[in-house]
Amino acid sequence: MRAAPEWLAPSSLEEALALLAERGDEALPLAGGTFLAALLNQRLIEPACLLSLARIAALGGIEGGEELRLGAMARHRDVELSPLVREGWPAVARAFGVVASPRVRNQATVGGVLADADYASDPPAMLCALGARAVARSAAGVREIPVEELITGYYETSLRPDELIVEVRVPRADRAVYRKFRTRSHEDRPCVAVAAARRGAETRVVVGAVAGRPQHFPELCRDGDAAEIGRRYADAIEPIADVRGSAAYRKRVIAVEVRRALEELAT
Amino acid sequence: MRVRFALNGEPVELDVRADETLLTVLRRDAGILSARESCGIGVCGACTVLVDGRPTSACLLLAPLADGAEVATAEGLGPDHPVVRAFAEAHAFQCGFCTPGMIVAATALLAESPSPSDAQIRHALAGNLCRCGSYVKILEAVRRAAA
Ligand SMILES: Cc1cc2nc3c(=O)[nH]c(=O)nc-3n(C[C@H](O)[C@H](O)[C@H](O)COP(=O)(O)OP(=O)(O)OC[C@H]3O[C@@H](n4cnc5c(N)ncnc54)[C@H](O)[C@@H]3O)c2cc1C
Ligand code: FES
Ligand code: FES
Repeated sequence: MRAAPEWLAPSSLEEALALLAERGDEALPLAGGTFLAALLNQRLIEPACLLSLARIAALGGIEGGEELRLGAMARHRDVELSPLVREGWPAVARAFGVVASPRVRNQATVGGVLADADYASDPPAMLCALGARAVARSAAGVREIPVEELITGYYETSLRPDELIVEVRVPRADRAVYRKFRTRSHEDRPCVAVAAARRGAETRVVVGAVAGRPQHFPELCRDGDAAEIGRRYADAIEPIADVRGSAAYRKRVIAVEVRRALEELAT
Repeated sequence: MRVRFALNGEPVELDVRADETLLTVLRRDAGILSARESCGIGVCGACTVLVDGRPTSACLLLAPLADGAEVATAEGLGPDHPVVRAFAEAHAFQCGFCTPGMIVAATALLAESPSPSDAQIRHALAGNLCRCGSYVKILEAVRRAAA
């Protein structure tokens, strides 16, 4: 039997960052554990050491103001139900509220869904459309990474092994919408996800779940009506094929769902 | 490593590996058999338990994360609990494999909203799968328990 991983559960962020600086190669950060437990159950990973963030109070919390601040350890369900988020950033509450089942949302965290960079997750496309930034800290310092630069490809991020996401900052928008198109069951991941946000004269449209990272084409949104922009997105994206839909099917859905998102945005 | 939590109101202390799930140790060391493993990846809900009142897939929760929590399973409810009775009276099962998970998920819903709408019930139980397809009667049982 393989050796059990060591369990580290620091109660301060400084301690956690020091541990990562020292043992970044072997210590794997653990948030809610929904992604990591499934990998452990299937023996797909055998980490030497798990670094639990659960005891670090500074990583929890949801605060509002000019910008929304979601602590890395805030759970999906907390974001979904937070009166502050529902009031000021309703599309964010929605994007977190349509993830999987209540069970998964009770456990999965804001930092976890960004750091695991699963192409078929809901919140990343919405956060991208709103121009959100992840705040990453290491023992050496702090930096802000726009979500669209954080997720670089399938399960890949621009985080360094000694960095932790500590919070996500979400600017306000005049209006934002999130549409999740599912092909199998209600609690499944999206086949095509479309997030759109309008701020002043600027409209951002981001398509999720169709490629390694959220798809955003600012130049395609500058003119044209909703149907036209939908067709441009469908032309610009090279979608993947998976159990939720073929590439050709996804192209057709992208055109329709982008149009619908823009129509909803205009109401 | 040692993990301590309250299990159906009683304190327990278990020896676990850091990569074991709560489901594994509940079944192996704590005599809890109502939570069952079916998918093992968070999809089916057969392993649902309440952790601090929230429905959770015990198959996805690493055991050390339960340290200090209140864990509740169907064993803690007993045969006279209104939700358990409602499931029996509505015949809300066939093989019964999914039933404990459905029951604990329903108790959490009713604690939050004592008179849920059908839509709320469906939402709360979406993700608890019943291979026998007893959904219509499960819905009826939850309505009955709420009444
Ligand atoms: C059955 C099921 C259905 C799902 N369906 C959906 C769905 O419909 N839509 C959707 O969007 N998602 C879905 N998910 C994905 C789920 O949202 C992710 O598994 C979850 O968000 C991961 O969060 P976690 O806190 O559990 O992360 P963990 O499993 O704890 O960690 C995930 C990864 O992130 C790293 N990490 C975690 N926190 C940090 C941090 N603060 N800084 C740096 N690295 C960190 C970990 O090292 C690990 O690599 C589903 C998951 C399951 C199990
Ligand atoms: S066994 Fe845990 S959700 Fe299926
Ligand atoms: S009664 Fe058989 S799985 Fe639900």
